Amino acid sequence: MGLTSRGLVAVLAVGAAGLLAGVLWLWPKLAGRGIRMILARIAALAVLELTVLGLIFAVVNRSADFYSSWSDLFGADTGSGAIIAGQYSASQAIAPVAVTGSSAVRLPGRGKARAGTLQTVRIHGQLSGLTMPGYIYLPAGYSAARRAARPLPVVAVISDQAGRRAAPDSARRLSATAAVQMAAGRLGPMIVVMLPSRSGQDQGCLNVPGGAQAATFFAQDLPHAIGSVYRAASPFTRRWALLGDSSGGYCALQLALTSSGTFAAAALPPGTYSAPPGSGEFGGSPQLRRQDNLAWLLRHRPMQPISVLLFARGRAQPLLSLARPPMYATSLGPAAGPWPLAAALDWIGTRLSRSGLAKG
Amino acid sequence: MGLTNRSFVELTIVAAVCGLACTVWLWPRVASQRVASIAVRLGLIAASQALAVIALLAAVNGYFMFYGSWSALLGGGTAQSAATAGTAASPRPITITATDLGPVPGSGSVLPESANGKLAAKPPHYYAKHHTVAKHAVVGGPSLKGGLSRAARSAGELLQVTISGEHTGITSGRNFVYLPPQYFQPAYARARFPVVLALTGYPNEAWSLVKFLALPATAAGLVADGKIRPAVYVMMNSSVALPRDTECTDIPAGLQVESFFAQDVPLALERTFRVQPSGSGWAVLGYSAGGYCAAKLAMMYPYQFSAAVSMSGYYNTITGSGTGSLYGGSSGYRNENNLYWRLRRLPAPPVSILATSTRGEGAYPGTLAFLRLIHPPMRGYSMVLAQGGHNYGTWHRELPPGLEWLSRRLAPARPHVAPGRAAALGRPADRSLAAGGMGGYQMAAPVARSKR
Repeated sequence: MGLTSRGLVAVLAVGAAGLLAGVLWLWPKLAGRGIRMILARIAALAVLELTVLGLIFAVVNRSADFYSSWSDLFGADTGSGAIIAGQYSASQAIAPVAVTGSSAVRLPGRGKARAGTLQTVRIHGQLSGLTMPGYIYLPAGYSAARRAARPLPVVAVISDQAGRRAAPDSARRLSATAAVQMAAGRLGPMIVVMLPSRSGQDQGCLNVPGGAQAATFFAQDLPHAIGSVYRAASPFTRRWALLGDSSGGYCALQLALTSSGTFAAAALPPGTYSAPPGSGEFGGSPQLRRQDNLAWLLRHRPMQPISVLLFARGRAQPLLSLARPPMYATSLGPAAGPWPLAAALDWIGTRLSRSGLAKG
Repeated sequence: MGLTNRSFVELTIVAAVCGLACTVWLWPRVASQRVASIAVRLGLIAASQALAVIALLAAVNGYFMFYGSWSALLGGGTAQSAATAGTAASPRPITITATDLGPVPGSGSVLPESANGKLAAKPPHYYAKHHTVAKHAVVGGPSLKGGLSRAARSAGELLQVTISGEHTGITSGRNFVYLPPQYFQPAYARARFPVVLALTGYPNEAWSLVKFLALPATAAGLVADGKIRPAVYVMMNSSVALPRDTECTDIPAGLQVESFFAQDVPLALERTFRVQPSGSGWAVLGYSAGGYCAAKLAMMYPYQFSAAVSMSGYYNTITGSGTGSLYGGSSGYRNENNLYWRLRRLPAPPVSILATSTRGEGAYPGTLAFLRLIHPPMRGYSMVLAQGGHNYGTWHRELPPGLEWLSRRLAPARPHVAPGRAAALGRPADRSLAAGGMGGYQMAAPVARSKR
């Protein structure tokens, strides 16, 4: 009779019931004095108890299939199995970064010296399946072939503008600003990636439950794609930073708070950030909605080892008051304006070079 | 008194025997055929039977370590919670709570033996009390002049550790790290080792991975036989908040268990030991609930874990009273944690997964269904035993081929070999990491993550 068969359970159940009835019924006959009577009682009780324990074991084992057979139970099964590899057709790998255009970035003023390259790209996220249009600024002197040189830090600029018609203009303006700061020695060489904050319905760089996985794209796919094509810092070195404009600010802070293993710094406009921009998709879950509130995250989760720059001091500044080490929050001051690119890039450069120096 | 203490188990056995003895002693007093007497008989039998069941449960639990402590069984534990909200996490991500736990390969025993034999076969709690650590010998690398036992160089080290997650605030104690003997040898003094994260089932204690799965002893034996290359094994309880069954899930507005294993644990290991940072340097292995965790972590974080072994795992969580609400009531988020759904609806991740099962197991059809859904760039491998159940015997038989399969997919630690001696070793001393790598990261770079 099999260890996991119904028959064994039935036999043990019937046996236990019969033994119980028998012991109750025959009780007076074993009530006498003398060692033989006592031994008979012990035997009757022991057999009953062991049958019940056996029944419990059989039922539990059947439901959880711990042991599949008697030989399994007694450890008589030996030998291992062969590993069989699945047969798959060759897969068509999609390039993580497709460069569709390229132009020189020139410093303003006399000479118009070349100061880096602006590429128009489409970045494909292997894991999320999302493809985002964007721009990549490569600093002067960048060459992918120079493997020996230290990988460059990366700043991801997440902006509503990057998805719009005005995108080429804003990308040119941004890369020109970066080029000027670098040429003036205020900013070390770094790669600037410009991306839209919007992917479908989501505008907060969040994973829509059961839908578009934008958080996966930004936190995992993006560093991997950039790292596999450009001479960019590995995400694990924390030499990545985020810069967000009015709608990209939520993205920047949200990603820094949830992926601090990659992003060390974020620069964004002041705000409450209590909900993602747009309608927000939280799959009908109040809990998901709650953790989409970044002030809630700051109050209820451990402080992340990140630096946050606010473009200006606003009316209500929960971020500045909530941040405690190892998180640092600071602001640029009232005169900074809504989109102070040069100052924000300088600050990011300082933060990233500091984290670079600290690790020696 | 501890739940798994020997004295507690003995106490329950004594109680069961006393229950039986009492019944035998009181037997003649309730021997009349009146209804009241029969009711009392029934009560006596029920009481002694209940004591016998308790003794059996205590003995089985003490042996298999389903629940390691009263707080694990009943809740209310304070050690493993996200109590650090709003504050800085522990500055030291890994605290070594015990060391010198063995195991000596070739001893024929799956039990750890201490290097000097004195502490052999003692439960892990014993070491925490009685053995203090020369931590620098483990963390900083080998100081060959002294302080490091010769045993570590020949047998490796098994450490008991507490891991604190900087990102999630989760702290998980009584886990184990096995450092292979090569870790302490001069040729490997600057080598970074690949890591296998091994996860238990539910409910369980991480010590089961050492004692029953015999992971360190098996790995040490296979390395000694030249069948696998040395790696660091991190053996952890897949449950971080027993008695809750968290299924390696980021619970909305709750414990972030998935992030703990995918982000915090790798970071903690990299800051403490000479290990590789990610990708082809990391793999994850588990049995039962740990198998689900392994498959899920690899599929969700393929840039961190390049391969996974799921032994008797399942591929979709059934939530119940043990788990509580894991998905915040969102069916979409629940789907994201269903690996069948992921394979149908999301792009396949670039990982390799070995799924094992037996023909006698309830999870066998589900395993086959999971394997059928795998498509490139993901790669599925299967190992199906003709006999065996959901137990350590089965997993122990599956382990050696599983570790060999993993070893072929992990970037090896590269020993420093004098130029003339490379050929004498019979294999290239300096196999390029990029050959098995996934990205263009320079993984041989010195410390890859910042210490701030």
